[in-house]
Amino acid sequence: MSAKGGAVIDSVRRALRREAGAPVPARPEILPARAAAEAEAEVEVDLLLKEVTALAGVAQRVSQAEVGASLRRLVEQEDVRRATCWNTPRLRALDIEGQLRACGVEMVPPRADKHALAQCDLGVTEADFALPETGTLGLLSSPEKPRGVSLLPRVHLALVSRSALRADLHQVFTEAKAHPYLILISGPSRTSDIELTVTLGVHGPRALHLWVLDDRR
Amino acid sequence: MSGEAPKYIEFGAYSRHVPPTIPVAVQQATGRFLGTRAARVAEMENWEALRQAASDLRLHTLAHLDVYLERLEQQVTAAGGRVYWARDAAEARAHVLGIARGCGARTVVKVKSMATEEIGLNHAFEQAGIQPFETDLGEYIIQLAGTGPSHIIVPAVHLKKEEIAALFREKLGVDAPADPVALTAIARAALRERFLAAKMGVSGANFLVAETGTLVVVTNEGNGRMCTTVPEVHVAVVGIDKVVPDWESLTVLLKLLARSATGQKLSTYTSFITGPRRSDGEGGPKELHLVLLDNGRSRILADEVARETLKCIRCGCCLNVCPVYKNVGGFAYGWFISGPIGAIFTPQMLGTRAGRELPYASTLCGACVDVCPVKIPITKILLHLRRRIAQGDRVAPPSAPLATRVAARLARWSLATGWLYRLGARVTPILEAPLARDGWIRWLPAPLNRWTQVRPMPAFRGGFRAWWAAHTKGRSTP
Repeated sequence: MSAKGGAVIDSVRRALRREAGAPVPARPEILPARAAAEAEAEVEVDLLLKEVTALAGVAQRVSQAEVGASLRRLVEQEDVRRATCWNTPRLRALDIEGQLRACGVEMVPPRADKHALAQCDLGVTEADFALPETGTLGLLSSPEKPRGVSLLPRVHLALVSRSALRADLHQVFTEAKAHPYLILISGPSRTSDIELTVTLGVHGPRALHLWVLDDRR
Repeated sequence: MSGEAPKYIEFGAYSRHVPPTIPVAVQQATGRFLGTRAARVAEMENWEALRQAASDLRLHTLAHLDVYLERLEQQVTAAGGRVYWARDAAEARAHVLGIARGCGARTVVKVKSMATEEIGLNHAFEQAGIQPFETDLGEYIIQLAGTGPSHIIVPAVHLKKEEIAALFREKLGVDAPADPVALTAIARAALRERFLAAKMGVSGANFLVAETGTLVVVTNEGNGRMCTTVPEVHVAVVGIDKVVPDWESLTVLLKLLARSATGQKLSTYTSFITGPRRSDGEGGPKELHLVLLDNGRSRILADEVARETLKCIRCGCCLNVCPVYKNVGGFAYGWFISGPIGAIFTPQMLGTRAGRELPYASTLCGACVDVCPVKIPITKILLHLRRRIAQGDRVAPPSAPLATRVAARLARWSLATGWLYRLGARVTPILEAPLARDGWIRWLPAPLNRWTQVRPMPAFRGGFRAWWAAHTKGRSTP
């Protein structure tokens, strides 16, 4: 430890009149987590869609068979010419990249540099977690799941499996704390800094699309 | 603004020269935030239990801060980050400038951060020939304008869109219409270039998790993500009071923070950053530096009554409810932190000599205590500081202008004299009838116009006894 760290911690210790190595009692109890509506998983999906919509996101259920058609609609609506996509097994299995190419979209690899990612109109990710209560997505990062894909493009599309739903922050944090990075996203980038007018897309994506994948046959 | 902390804060003098546009704009903001906050709080079944848990948790952490700081340093280092300790603002500035020189940064991008305001970092950057860019839209605007923030959450709320458009035309040389959406797009484009060009990003942190050495950064615009993701070097300057024991503790504090600040359930983006990136492919900074700032905080810890000041999570809710803040705005508090929390934080940080007027900048109404998400006993600490000032420093006596003293004496006489009060209740509606419209008086003759210049005055709605009789009519009284 540096000498200065010692100095600050020493003055904290003096102020608190504590001895070095004095025991610390257990921290106070934390309130229990919210319980999910277990009986009916669809209730949680409904809540997620409602909350994301309330945050000015575009949220819907999409079945596997509809993914291609939904992508085509998204490309037209948002005028997508260039896109990037996480390289996860699920997104590969859905062939997001191939389907976007079929719509005439130029694909940029997700590990491209920041300038290339910033030129993209669309970034596609797969949520590691989703919190229905607050309409929140949780994304981790890895070489296959670069951080910039959900940040630099103008539009963010996140695919959510039902297995990603969590009832409360408690569960998300228990699973995420071993990872070097977690981002919680609740709606598109927003500000009220000019005359309190809500404006979307300041620095992050202007639009957030969330598709809950329907795994049922 | 200069980098040095002020030597003496003349709250009384500042507050007498507040332009009337400031309270009007500030009250629009505070009204909005309080409305949405009330809606969020009403949805929560366990709001009071959450507040109590947060208060207990923060107090426990402060009481054992030495241990949590040691754990934090170990964990940040283990995750590949570097920890620097700063006893005061000058040491913190020197650390940050040293890191900036080390990576050859000519420009830096910044997230709105109270700690960097506290140490006057922007001024230090400019002196060293490094250009700092504030990236929070409101901070960016006031940086262009060269003024300070008027509100903790919406720092440029005192500026009209026409003024911002003129500022953009002058400083950025672009054709800017007076439209919030268009102005935001201009700022987005201008700052995108800065984000992509800067070698170094500077942030604060809302929380530091001792358990894993994790920095938690909360923003709505996404500039927090940009500054901590895009540049190769990330420097965080954070007060030692921001430590929490573990991630479980965050479940309580994050549920309170956004709801209290803006009335959101969670802010748009919450980043949890543990060390620099592990591999080139995933993005994020290659280096992570954490500057831990004491700058007087350990002195606050020593005073057991005032210690609770450091429970603060900087939501700004106490500003929104404060009748004093709402009428003078942020500038009058003379330093980076304003409102009730500023009135107790600043005198302790700068000394009760420099900040001795601030503990008197309060009516002791206690509205702030009722809403504080971590239950800081602000009024108790205000009185405690007044006592400390009275025992030590020479106190500038709070003095009111002659007109106010005369008016207060007249009010005391008429309110305490039954017949006079009843007469007044009859005469007032007649006198104000020509001025009142829809229950509000928008203009009064001098010297009463000191009020209506700043805000409309509610018209007299009749005596309480008459109102009560009408209100309870047809109801059985217990």
